[in-house]
Amino acid sequence: MSTQLPTAAPVGAGSSPAPTGRRPLSRRRAALARPWLLLAPSLLVLAVLLLWPLIRVVLFSLQDYGLREIVSGEPNWIGFANFAEILGSAQLWTIVLPNTIGFAVLAVAGTVAFGTAVAVLLASLGTTWRTIVSSAIMAAWAMPAVTGTYVWVWIFDADRGIFNQTLMNMGLMDDPVNWFTGRFSFYAIVLLNVIHHGFPFVAITVLAGLLGVPKEMLEAAEMDGAGGWRRFFQIIVPQLRQVFAVVIILSTIWDFKVFAQVYLMPGGAGSNREVLNLGVWSYVESFGQNRYGFGSAIAVLLTLLLLSITAVYVRTILKEEEL
Amino acid sequence: MRRTSPAHTIGKGVLVALLLIFTLFPVYWMLASAFDARAGRSSSFFPQELTLDNFAFVLDEGGFTVFLRNSLIVAGATVLVSAVLALLAAVAVARFRFRMRTQILMLILIVQMVPLEALVIPLFVQVRDLQLLGTLAGLVVVYVTLALAFGIWMLRGFVAAVPVELEEAAYLDGASWGRMFWSVLLPLVAPGLVATSIFSFITAWNEFIFALTMLGGATENYTVAIGLRSFFGQYSNDWGAVMAGSTIITVPVMIFFILVQRRLATGLTAGAVKG
Repeated sequence: MSTQLPTAAPVGAGSSPAPTGRRPLSRRRAALARPWLLLAPSLLVLAVLLLWPLIRVVLFSLQDYGLREIVSGEPNWIGFANFAEILGSAQLWTIVLPNTIGFAVLAVAGTVAFGTAVAVLLASLGTTWRTIVSSAIMAAWAMPAVTGTYVWVWIFDADRGIFNQTLMNMGLMDDPVNWFTGRFSFYAIVLLNVIHHGFPFVAITVLAGLLGVPKEMLEAAEMDGAGGWRRFFQIIVPQLRQVFAVVIILSTIWDFKVFAQVYLMPGGAGSNREVLNLGVWSYVESFGQNRYGFGSAIAVLLTLLLLSITAVYVRTILKEEEL
Repeated sequence: MRRTSPAHTIGKGVLVALLLIFTLFPVYWMLASAFDARAGRSSSFFPQELTLDNFAFVLDEGGFTVFLRNSLIVAGATVLVSAVLALLAAVAVARFRFRMRTQILMLILIVQMVPLEALVIPLFVQVRDLQLLGTLAGLVVVYVTLALAFGIWMLRGFVAAVPVELEEAAYLDGASWGRMFWSVLLPLVAPGLVATSIFSFITAWNEFIFALTMLGGATENYTVAIGLRSFFGQYSNDWGAVMAGSTIITVPVMIFFILVQRRLATGLTAGAVKG
């Protein structure tokens, strides 16, 4: 989402609204206070509704926080017991973490590879077809996660889904298969859903970058005898390093925290423990079992994982760009 | 890159066709099932019996009219509040240099990366303490927060793109800062404001986890995203109805999305300053 930002014009010249030459002192003080007055409402909202909750989730994670504590508001400190329980549970190492990380890696690789391939295809098309295909891609992008997930569930539905029906009509299968019970087939459907929903962002962003690569460079390389693959990997990819960095890291962040796409699938809301990922596990422990402290501890671990990725993001991409 | 042998063209045509099928099939299948009276009872790729019954059923007995109203209220309120707050903050960070400016921008960026799963537990407790569980107001408060950080970052770019010379011209003509903001900056940032508002609208319209958690059993306050879910459980085999509900949720978002892309594509202040 956030890479759609129009490129920022340098702030330099506009740093203060007008030359401060020989203005009365009170006006200068007003000019100094103005940015803070403008920022105040937003900062207040962010502090109360984002920063304080973030601190609070850490505080909860150090407590045995259940329904009783929610009602009474009394703290119930237990130190790092929640974290010890999480890190000591076989479920984390054999199911939740492999599901979360394995899925994120496959989803990011799939989304970026497919999105880039589509961008290359789009770049080679004429204007009319490019507009038609981009509009179709927009439609896939605009599909809300909730309805998109239902459509995929419907397509793969065991009894009446079009996927099973088609396979059976073609004689490839005798009886309907329930694809949602197996761990791998479950995540294969989630993967299809997430790639379908995520590749448009990659395709459109990379396309914008591709169109910016100087034609002369490509023509020069072609004259020197570089083939299509070579031109792609040795000229286009290095030119688009920044674009790829943004796309990969944003996709990583999004794919680590897939929630609705798993939660809304049959068995995804906790009844099938085999398919839990970090986000769903945290939610199910909190709101299903009323173990808010334990759920918070899982959420803290997920956040730490994502913040370290964000740190990489900030370092590699925003380093050169002036804020 | 100018080789246009017939085989090359055909190969490209096949790729485009495959891409279009993959991209559009879910949308097509949603619409086809929604308008089909026999959805789920045939294995054909085309609707067997066109009908509007699924929609009538969803809107009437499924309670979607109420869910739609709730979603419009929540999304509308979110857009209004977050647009005002984000615009003011964006002007501050784009137009003024002050101490801590970079740190604040960083903070806003980082805050945006926090997973919703980490916020849902403390915000649930907080909204509960405010006695707003099960109400639309509680949801608006949460959605404004979610939309705000992104809105500030996006609007910041739009504000920065307005040439400073225009502002200075206004000051030379004797305008106060407020007058300049109202008559010069605001009209020029308007397209960006529209784009940002549409993104906030989509955020609020699509959001699922918080609606699920905060609204709990208050069925009369359900938004479309979770209204569909309760409906789905109730009539789990009536896929035609589920897809009709999905269509009602998806179509406005798709229209808005295409609008937003146009807005972002057009040059924002092209021609604002003459030679």
